[in-house]
Amino acid sequence: MKLSEKYRDEIADILSRYPVKRSALIPLLYVAQRDQGYVTESAMLEIAKLLRLTPPQVYETITFYTMFNLKPMGKFHLQVCKSLMCALVGSDTLLGWINAKIGIAPGETTADGLFSLSTVECLAACGTGPMMMVNDDYYEQLTEDKLDRILSDLRSTGTSPLKSGPFMWPEPLRSTDSVIG
Amino acid sequence: MPESTTPTVRLTIDGITVKVPKGTLVIEAARRIGVMIPHFCYHPKLKPDANCRMCLVEIEKMPKLQTACSTPVDEGMSVRTATTVVNDAHRSVLEFILANHPLDCPVCDQGGKCDLQDFSHQYTATSRFVETKRIFQKEYFSPLIETQMNRCVQCLRCVRYCDEVMDVKALAPVGRGTMTEIKHFGPHPLNCEFCGGCVQICPVGAITSRLSMYEYRPWMLKRADTICGYCGDGCQMTVQTKDQELIEVNSAHGAGRNNGDLCARGFFGFHAASHPDRLTHPLIRRNGALVQTTWEEALEYVANRVSELKDMHGGQGFGGLISGRCTNEELYVFQKFMRGAIGTNNIDSSARYGHVNSLHAMRLVQGTHRWTVTFDDVLDADVLVLVGTNITETNPITGLKVKEAVKKRRATLITIESLEPVIDTMSNIANLSHHHFRIPPSEMQNGILGLLKAVIEENLILPDISQRYPAYVKAVTTALRAFSWQDLHRATGIEPDSFIQAAKVLAAGRRVIVLTGQVLLRSERGYAGSLTLLDLLMLTGKLDQPGCGFAPLAEENNDQGAVEMGAIAEFLPGACFADNAADRERFMHLWKRDLPLTVGASLVDMLHRAQAGSLKAMFIVGENPVASLPAQIRAEDSLRKLDLLVCQELFLTETAALAHVVLPAASSMEKNGTFTNTEGHVQAVRPSIEPIGESRPDWEVFAALSILLGMPMEYAESKDILKEIRGAISGYTSLGPTPLPPKVDRTAMDRYLSQGYQPDLTTRYRLIAPQSRPDGTLQMGFGQSLFHSGKLSTRSKGLLQLEGNGRLRINPVDAARFALMDGDRVRLCSTSGEMTTEIKIMERVPQGTAWFPDHFGQAAVGLFECAIDPITHVPSFRTATVSMMKVA
Amino acid sequence: MPRHELILLKNMSEPGYTGSLVDYEKTGGYQALRKTLGKIAPADVTAMVRKSGLRGRGGAGFPTGVKWGFLPKDYQGPRYLCCNADESEPGTFKDRQLMERDPHQVLEGIVLSCYAIGAETAFIYIRGEMVLGSKILEHAIAEARAAGYIGKNILGTGLHADVWVHRGAGAYICGEETALLESLEGKRGLPRTKPPFPATHGLYNKPTVVNNVETLANLPHIMSRGPEWFAAIGSPPKSTGTRVFCVSGHVKRPGNYEVPMGVTVRELVYEHAGGMRSDKPIKAFIPGGASAPFLTPAHLDVKLDFESVAAAGSMLGSGGVTVMEEGTSMVWAALRLMEFFYHESCGKCSPCREGSAWLVQTMRRILAKRGRMEDLETLLDLCKNIAGRTICAFGDAEVAPIQSTLKYWRQEYVDLVNEAEAANLIRLEPAGRP
Repeated sequence: MKLSEKYRDEIADILSRYPVKRSALIPLLYVAQRDQGYVTESAMLEIAKLLRLTPPQVYETITFYTMFNLKPMGKFHLQVCKSLMCALVGSDTLLGWINAKIGIAPGETTADGLFSLSTVECLAACGTGPMMMVNDDYYEQLTEDKLDRILSDLRSTGTSPLKSGPFMWPEPLRSTDSVIG
Repeated sequence: MPESTTPTVRLTIDGITVKVPKGTLVIEAARRIGVMIPHFCYHPKLKPDANCRMCLVEIEKMPKLQTACSTPVDEGMSVRTATTVVNDAHRSVLEFILANHPLDCPVCDQGGKCDLQDFSHQYTATSRFVETKRIFQKEYFSPLIETQMNRCVQCLRCVRYCDEVMDVKALAPVGRGTMTEIKHFGPHPLNCEFCGGCVQICPVGAITSRLSMYEYRPWMLKRADTICGYCGDGCQMTVQTKDQELIEVNSAHGAGRNNGDLCARGFFGFHAASHPDRLTHPLIRRNGALVQTTWEEALEYVANRVSELKDMHGGQGFGGLISGRCTNEELYVFQKFMRGAIGTNNIDSSARYGHVNSLHAMRLVQGTHRWTVTFDDVLDADVLVLVGTNITETNPITGLKVKEAVKKRRATLITIESLEPVIDTMSNIANLSHHHFRIPPSEMQNGILGLLKAVIEENLILPDISQRYPAYVKAVTTALRAFSWQDLHRATGIEPDSFIQAAKVLAAGRRVIVLTGQVLLRSERGYAGSLTLLDLLMLTGKLDQPGCGFAPLAEENNDQGAVEMGAIAEFLPGACFADNAADRERFMHLWKRDLPLTVGASLVDMLHRAQAGSLKAMFIVGENPVASLPAQIRAEDSLRKLDLLVCQELFLTETAALAHVVLPAASSMEKNGTFTNTEGHVQAVRPSIEPIGESRPDWEVFAALSILLGMPMEYAESKDILKEIRGAISGYTSLGPTPLPPKVDRTAMDRYLSQGYQPDLTTRYRLIAPQSRPDGTLQMGFGQSLFHSGKLSTRSKGLLQLEGNGRLRINPVDAARFALMDGDRVRLCSTSGEMTTEIKIMERVPQGTAWFPDHFGQAAVGLFECAIDPITHVPSFRTATVSMMKVA
Repeated sequence: MPRHELILLKNMSEPGYTGSLVDYEKTGGYQALRKTLGKIAPADVTAMVRKSGLRGRGGAGFPTGVKWGFLPKDYQGPRYLCCNADESEPGTFKDRQLMERDPHQVLEGIVLSCYAIGAETAFIYIRGEMVLGSKILEHAIAEARAAGYIGKNILGTGLHADVWVHRGAGAYICGEETALLESLEGKRGLPRTKPPFPATHGLYNKPTVVNNVETLANLPHIMSRGPEWFAAIGSPPKSTGTRVFCVSGHVKRPGNYEVPMGVTVRELVYEHAGGMRSDKPIKAFIPGGASAPFLTPAHLDVKLDFESVAAAGSMLGSGGVTVMEEGTSMVWAALRLMEFFYHESCGKCSPCREGSAWLVQTMRRILAKRGRMEDLETLLDLCKNIAGRTICAFGDAEVAPIQSTLKYWRQEYVDLVNEAEAANLIRLEPAGRP
């Protein structure tokens, strides 16, 4: 089914936001990626048509950004931050744990197609590392125990309550023990 | 011409003071005084991108080094391009660019003409790079273009050219950072216009031509600057050869009317001349078969037969047909031979197929047979109107001028074309149009009438015209009021307001140019449409204004020259009417020969006369009426009845196969001469190889025959002929750009506005009723594809790789309606005939229409009926209603 | 322990504060908007912001009011505001908190800015990975639209300001303002050559202002409490207001701390972030995100304001303070950042594109004990040849880690090379070949 049929209203809403069509390119690529887990060639062609672009114009944009998958990925895409700030607090160790538990290195997918692992650059969670992003969710201040629980939650329920909520760190303290109070 | 009011600024570069127009970039200002600042990404055709950082210079009062390619000059600026700091910067940038370069110069086709090599040499660049070089996997890119991304310096000139100049957008910089590479779309091979622009503009060996891959080193090649023989744009190109072998074609930036740009035909089509099927010896018919003979025997035979037949039937028993691909010199000698030595005006050329329609209209209305504008005026225009041009495919380089005018110089574009504005692998002029009228090929006239009606109804007529020529204005008004806006809407499906908006823009324009092309000129309304467009320009007061004009596009490279040389029944050289006593007198004096009085027969008339038995002999030079004309004309049958058919040809065509004598002709790659392009520029053709086999330039044949016939026209070389032409025709006094295009002749215009308009005004102002097409049928057009030109290009291996056979282009909706997939075979039937072909689905083809490239048209031509224009004698056979059925 | 009044983090520091419109309004939210729209002339708003001394919180620290003043006065067509929420500078995580915990504070700032510059459309360009943040903003926008703070005819003033969230898709460079505009136009995020500047030729070639999230979040407070109040905070006259510093690395309590500009790193680390995690001494710190050169314990008392940090040879940048304890390998640390820059170089300018790859490879070699002594000079020379030679500031940023670590901890490099030479691990390669 074509994206423009399946997500008609959403696409119309996206297109309505921009005075110049091409601006809708990244938002529409997200729609396509959500649909299949990666952006298929036919989706790129359809989006090109919708935005009056040539396919190479879509292709040059999509390949510039790291968040678009051009190939199918595992059901859960673990993205571990490896930048300096996380590295200072153990991101390499985190990668080791993941490797020990599910047997994959960055760039690999488990045989059951459940997990893919990537290393990524800074995700703006430097105060709460080591951390990783799984699909759309952040998991921060990871410990080995926490990782075990997350992996098991993902397997059983597809998500985990350990994911970050609206971010604040340090969390607000009761006024009585505020360090600045 | 717009007045140059750009203020100038004064600056110093390396201590030298230079005055340049405001807005000039430092790199360009430096070039003016001979200071070459090294660069990769800068190119005068492209917007500055400043990505290579090679052109860093010191500018006083600026803290950091600046890129000369993106910094505009400023009053009092002081630039230094050769200080130690600048030199170190250049060296260091070069070191970075070289870091990942494979240094495979020994096997690189760019070696010897590579900017990277040259700058490395200049800066004696050494590299401290000892790390692992980046390697891109080699991938197949396209049949004609090779990429070697390890050599790429990521300057993106190719990508920017493809977008900014060509408007094709087929190249994508893929990936990020040091892993950025140029690709098309995913793993797909390149699919585009194949203009070769990316190959030409690449400063290194990253994008090269596969046609000449590993064939040469630049210093081994001989170069000849000549003019492309494929269309009326008249592009200058440099043909490079090794011995007798055609290796490569390119065109230097700034060269010719094309400013160094080429299309697929020019860039990849050069192999036609060296096709193995070229005729290398004269052939003569013996016992029904054509056998090899010598020039002496062949010419003697022809001369004897000509004498005999002339004695029996007089000059009127002869006819001559010549291709608009020949040089001016050949066309001139040909008609002089026919008129002076044979004694007949039965002469025609391929210009008859359509170009003549526009020239007659111009003669009548503005008294000239040439453009009153140039390509430069097209660039400077503020309103451009395109009518039935399909410009990208027929006249791609004029198309680039239109693109530049619209994209870079903000001209408003009005298009009346049979095109859907869609994005696909080729550029589409309708995509750039501000007022697009999608009209099927046979109804172009309705679009023109829509604009005219809007001019009348909105009172956009120049008051001066209304006052001075009330009868004309009244006649036009009456004719345009004979139908209502509703009628027009019914006929075109277009709202009146669209016409009104466009007409207002046109009327408000200061520099308005109307370009028209084959789709209109080769149609039944080619002449009427041209006149009507001239009316449009006149009523709005544009026609005789500077920078304004009517610009018909010639299909063949020398259609314009063919007419100007008099290779056409009604015109003596200089487009003087053959029945004008004074002109006839002049040429009789010049040629010292009597000239025939009898009105000449045009192409189709000649064939009819041959059929009827009154025409006995024909010379056919480079034309192939058997394959080009619809069956209804019975060309083959007519030619078979001739007592003498002499063909001068490159190949043994369907027509040549019927000849009594076939003489091998030299192609434009093998001879000297001149071509006159569509805007009237006379340009030098130079040989790049020796004539193939025993072939000879066509003029030599006629000169030799004239001697054998005792009426010698003696020329030692083609230059002698040009000298004679210069004496005979104004406008040919100097080669290259004519100083000024001709002006509208006010007396002629006055004559037209007073009475010249009368004869057929009401007929040509009649709305064309849209053809009601029964279900299961399409309106099929017949026209030119970007990848071919006539039949000649179908001998070019490069172009055959791009388009190897004729396929019927249809809209996807129609394809779905007929349950067809790309490449399916269909049978097409019209009232005249039928054919079987494959289909190609193209969204730009409007629903209900289809078109077939005429280069592969032998079978297709049978589908069309032929109509002859009563005034211009142009045979039109370009549209037909066909039914379509899928076949296995 | 000094007391600092919280401004930006005040609401969210209240227990139970959810960031909803109701909560925000309870704390006086959108009062600045009511007080300003249609009551203070846009030019006066700009003047007030200029007077407050507010400088951009994204990294470059350009005075916000001055930036607004660059917009053409008489331009009739559309103008745009882009909120730069592409927070990607390693070490920085404040905007994420401001957006996810108190989105209306940011939105109010956006509408105020739109009003001041005459924009009717604002795009929040949020980095693609912040999915939660974009959802929170979308929700807040819907709330604000329903309440008449955003959209058509705001608060009955006849003024319009539409706000849209636009997600990036993973490219650090899109935090550079012109790359952000390219990306927002659906293209590759390549910085544009300047001039022209976004103020005249920005989004869709129209006059455009790009402001950071934290910058915009300050606006409601400046409008409510006056520019004089703001200008008195921090280290006037040049560094006014507070900064939300993001403290990361080897500290006990990493996190976001809002303090007046001009506090010292020592105060930030030892009084706010609880000191060093293993109580080891500080070996090095970065004061303003990955693009800022490393500093040493000798700089612990440098005041964290624009001028003082610059004078110390680094930059205040985005406010990301990363602290490293004794024992951390500086070559390793510099390489980690270099790898980041290599990964994120957009590839437009040759020196940065090729240079980042070169530097990473050489650094890896040195760290793997395959370095040679002349590599150190080559590194410095390459850094010199990249900095200042590129279109955007990325080129300057990417050389900071190597230049500064070589400056302060050269011996660590030398030791690695000596180890390599001692172990005879390097192969001699011909030098100076083309």
